[in-house]
Amino acid sequence: MRRKSGLPSPASDYLTKPPTKAPSWHGLVVFDVWFNNLTAGLFLVAALSQLIAPEPFSNVTRVAFPLAFLLLIVDLVLLVLDLGDPWRFHHMLRVFKPSSPMSLGTWCLTAYSLPLAIAALLALLGIQPGWFEALVLITGILPALGTAIYKGVLFSTSSQPGWKDARWLDSYLTSSAFLLGSALFVVLAIWMKQDRAIEILRPTLVGLLLLNGVTIGLLLVGLRDSFGSFDLRSKHWLIGLATFVGGYFMPLVLIAMVGRSTLLAAACLIIFAALISRYQLIQLPEAAAHRQAGAAVDPIQDSDRSTGRLA
Amino acid sequence: MLNPRENLNVVSREKSLSELASGAEHSPSRLAMIIDYALKPFRRGRAPEPQPATGFFTDTSVCIGCKACEVACKQWNQLPADGFHWTGNSHDNTADLSATSWRHVKFIEQLIEPAVDTPARGDSSVNPLDLLSTDQDRPGRWLMMSDVCKHCVTAPCQQACPTGSLIQNEFENIYVQQDICNGCSYCVAACPFGVIGRATFDGHAHKCTLCYDRQRDQLEPACAKACPTESIHFGLIEDLRQRARERVETLHQHGVTAAYLYGDQATEGYSELNSFYLLVDEPAVYGLPDSPVNPWLQMKGDYLRAVFTAVVCVAFLWATLVLGR
Repeated sequence: MRRKSGLPSPASDYLTKPPTKAPSWHGLVVFDVWFNNLTAGLFLVAALSQLIAPEPFSNVTRVAFPLAFLLLIVDLVLLVLDLGDPWRFHHMLRVFKPSSPMSLGTWCLTAYSLPLAIAALLALLGIQPGWFEALVLITGILPALGTAIYKGVLFSTSSQPGWKDARWLDSYLTSSAFLLGSALFVVLAIWMKQDRAIEILRPTLVGLLLLNGVTIGLLLVGLRDSFGSFDLRSKHWLIGLATFVGGYFMPLVLIAMVGRSTLLAAACLIIFAALISRYQLIQLPEAAAHRQAGAAVDPIQDSDRSTGRLA
Repeated sequence: MLNPRENLNVVSREKSLSELASGAEHSPSRLAMIIDYALKPFRRGRAPEPQPATGFFTDTSVCIGCKACEVACKQWNQLPADGFHWTGNSHDNTADLSATSWRHVKFIEQLIEPAVDTPARGDSSVNPLDLLSTDQDRPGRWLMMSDVCKHCVTAPCQQACPTGSLIQNEFENIYVQQDICNGCSYCVAACPFGVIGRATFDGHAHKCTLCYDRQRDQLEPACAKACPTESIHFGLIEDLRQRARERVETLHQHGVTAAYLYGDQATEGYSELNSFYLLVDEPAVYGLPDSPVNPWLQMKGDYLRAVFTAVVCVAFLWATLVLGR
């Protein structure tokens, strides 16, 4: 499509901004991504725990499923409120379009909401776990995975600077969903004084934290192409660094220390650092655009270089 | 003889009058209205018969920046004014394509500011507004371009749309069905040209319709009709591509060797555009991406990476739970 003109590089104000237009996805979307990962992650961790090791976890899952349902409701409300015309939220279900990550995500959320609602209801009614609950949980796992996966693909399948080059964003958000779910599950286990559950979850949290660290490393390597070298003076990188220290390094140290309170602190740090990192991710297109504007060639200097004619 | 549309109006008018006369007018209940509102988007009409593809060919070499296309577009489509904002960017105070500006005339001043101690040129043969000048001794040039939706043959906005509001209509133009759009903004994020925007007045996405209503009545789009220099050509896309290639050849013969077509052919990363351009400088100079890429080319890989990560997480969780129980 491009052809070299051979003319001197010109002055143009259009060079200083990206040709794309950033969508008005701001605060609500930051919380939406956070709640999406919390609900899907908590359900997945709780469901797998209930299915694989019901004895140490059954008390915690009694609270985890209703909480995951509550988080889902909050997430859905945020999704609806973020629409330009919220009263048309049901138009999302008008078509099933797997080629659109948003359409697939909507259907995953819908499919996930039903087994989660049943699991939450069974937990609230105090019905003993049995084959029916197991069936409900198994039914919910696949759409819950879809719910955790689609967000990252939605962002990376766009033309926005920053997101479009973030090839590992989906992996980061998927592993983050499991990490957040585990952290929230740990908080519930500590609150309910479930010692066996806490001891099983401690190494799980470490492993998921390390796995999440690998995906964020791959994400940053990919983003280096968009942002050039890491400029430690930049506000975004400073916040990113603080998030990494607060959300990864500190929790690892705290988990290594024996004691419930340190584990609780680590889990809380993981959960809240995830909110800040989502804020950073949503800001990526604007940060990349800002960088482009800053790095845009000064037109007069550039013309001067090309033609040698300007004063 | 009435055409079918007029006939329909007469029938509905007669029906209304007869209803009024018989006192049979009754408003639907609130519940019925809610049910109707909920079900309306799920009702389907019959798709129109496919027509030969149409599009725009914008020859920027003859654009004079009169903005008649912008005005005609606003007038025909009843788009609100955007207010008066000085952007500081030449004569461009429209700034961007948006939900309320579907045509945007861009101005690029490639002029050399004379040094303070340099006497003014007395050479009257030099035209400072020579758009196509490549002569290094001339003082520069103006580039102007009327930008619009590219009506991509494979349009990322349409691929993104989760409601099916964005469609390719019978003329192979990308069209937003306003009664379906719910303003999710994914099309805004997907468009590599920054064309489509979400309006503040109704929360829906809006962009050029390629005057779908006019086309259905065998009229050319308002912007092409208003263009005084025939910079904006409208027609069957194959004819336009042929005409554009001939124009490039002509310009090359006249010494404008920089002229080329942008978007007339598909590339490795992007489909051809049904609204394409003749440019005389780099695409980025006009605010166009040098090499647009359809983000959907990466989607499968992204899904695979995410699924792989999910499988690793589940396997790890499984292992720790089995070992710990």
